[in-house]
Amino acid sequence: MRNRVQRSWLIAPANDAARLAAAADSGADVVVLDLQDTVHETKKHEARAGVKDAISEMRAHGSEVYVRCDPELLYADFAASVWRGLHGVVLPGLTTADQVREADRLLGEFEASRGVVRPPPLDEILEADDPRGPDQALEIHLCLDTGRANWDAEDLISASDRVRSVSLGRADLTMDLREEPSGDLHLLPYLNQRLIIVANACGVRPVGAWWRATSRGLAASPADTLRAAVDGRRAGFRGALCMRADQPRALNEGFTPTDDEIAQAKAAASDPDASADQRAIALDTLAWAEACEARDNLKAAS
Amino acid sequence: MTRRVRRSGLMMPVNTERFVNSSWLRHSDSLDYDLEDSVPQSEKDNARAVLPNAIQIGQKGGAEVSVRINVAYPEADLEAAVRPGVSRISHPKTEHAEQIRRVDAIITRLERERGIRPGTIEVNAMIETTLGVANSYEIASSSPRVRTFSPGTGYDMSMDMGLEMFVGFDQFFYNRGEGELIAMALGQNRAGGVYMSDTSGSVTDGDRTLEQAIANRKAGFRSGGGLHPNVVQPQNIGLTPTPEEVDRARRVLALFDQIDARGEVETDLDGEAVDAYEAARARELIEWAAACARRDAEKAAKRAASLAAEEAAGG
Repeated sequence: MRNRVQRSWLIAPANDAARLAAAADSGADVVVLDLQDTVHETKKHEARAGVKDAISEMRAHGSEVYVRCDPELLYADFAASVWRGLHGVVLPGLTTADQVREADRLLGEFEASRGVVRPPPLDEILEADDPRGPDQALEIHLCLDTGRANWDAEDLISASDRVRSVSLGRADLTMDLREEPSGDLHLLPYLNQRLIIVANACGVRPVGAWWRATSRGLAASPADTLRAAVDGRRAGFRGALCMRADQPRALNEGFTPTDDEIAQAKAAASDPDASADQRAIALDTLAWAEACEARDNLKAAS
Repeated sequence: MTRRVRRSGLMMPVNTERFVNSSWLRHSDSLDYDLEDSVPQSEKDNARAVLPNAIQIGQKGGAEVSVRINVAYPEADLEAAVRPGVSRISHPKTEHAEQIRRVDAIITRLERERGIRPGTIEVNAMIETTLGVANSYEIASSSPRVRTFSPGTGYDMSMDMGLEMFVGFDQFFYNRGEGELIAMALGQNRAGGVYMSDTSGSVTDGDRTLEQAIANRKAGFRSGGGLHPNVVQPQNIGLTPTPEEVDRARRVLALFDQIDARGEVETDLDGEAVDAYEAARARELIEWAAACARRDAEKAAKRAASLAAEEAAGG
């Protein structure tokens, strides 16, 4: 569970063929087909219509697929999204535990009526009449992108077993957090740390990077993205959302242990003088590095 | 609701006559008359006695008037402070929601008795101790009179935490985050500011104040306060958008309207993103600039009228 490799989550508008094509080749561990704020109000219908095919397309290119849904349009967005190959939904803007429970229930209805299960990362998808376990429930990724949702993070996360990961989404835009003289985005260091602590306390994965004012709404240059990922990994993240097709490779790199780190971890793991804690951390790093490598190999094969 | 413009707030001991007599000429958006820490114990009675007159003087320049009371005897202070012309009561060193509920009840009674429209008077629940930080959410949500909430970052907080202030390090990183998050969660205005290294601790440095006010505004903050007349105008200026910024905001809005009409969500202006979020920021900036201009005109008119009246009375 901890070693589920989702280093890069690329958000791409579901109605933009060029950006979907770029997303397919971006190397993203996860592609998030967007029905929310990158899709114009007048193009929602068109975007929903493209989701089913885009799921197969992205999966064929080696990415897990999620759909980011509009919190006010959940029914229509889920109806467009719950198809074979989908891993889960990314939900921004929810502020109460009741809304999370409602999303859980609705996902369950579509799962049941369409016989959809959450697939393994890239292997064969089980058919619907195979026995289903809890690991085959479609997931919810919550974007805690309002003051209310962050304050009540624990309640929101605990409202559904489907919630497996959380992020701040595009909090700098939705919460209007702007540049400080230090180059940080105002409040973001505090919100990042709070998210990491609450997520771990609730047993879900915190998703994010140590974005600074060189990023805007999760978009940043590859160099700044790499830096945010490296700092993010040090702070406790293992993957982040992003907006542009040139960011996933930077995120993958930043969240994967370097050769030096792997060598150090190997040395520590076999050092008889190392403390139990040091060995445990080293083994964790090695297991994560191995999981990342396995993920990259699977992707290369697809 | 028209937006309150509180770029500057000059605080002074209300029993110091020369401060009070010239306070209305300071161009401050808000005048904050203190009954608390700046007033010695032996002067408290006198301070309450002179407060009504100070409230009259304060309004001569069009400033909003607020009063800071003592935690130990809110009844006596509120009796003196709750009167027409006062828009806000500051409750210092707040540690429990119960304190604010009690203040709210007294204000409610006095508003009724004195013919002040119910709910007029805001309460500024000041957080200045660690216990106050720990109980912040309950405090901030204890009364609808709390409409703005600020994190605890001042002198009293550093004393309570046993910290040396002005050491060039952000000691209130957690307080700031917690306080602002609570304000956002409750839909209140967040007051406060961004951290900027300050190793002087000067309360009279206008240049530094201007720099800080500009940084605060760019980070989205809209209010300030202070202890010396020198910092009033730098805050008024620093927290008001420049004409160039207003002009750029208009271009952002116009450009956004164009792409929106075409069914697009994003473009750029001189390399910077333009989308619905940027349009919202632009709209806010234009509205804020207009509110600042209205406030400045209001203050100028009030001040001119008061000066003319004084001249007529004197001549």
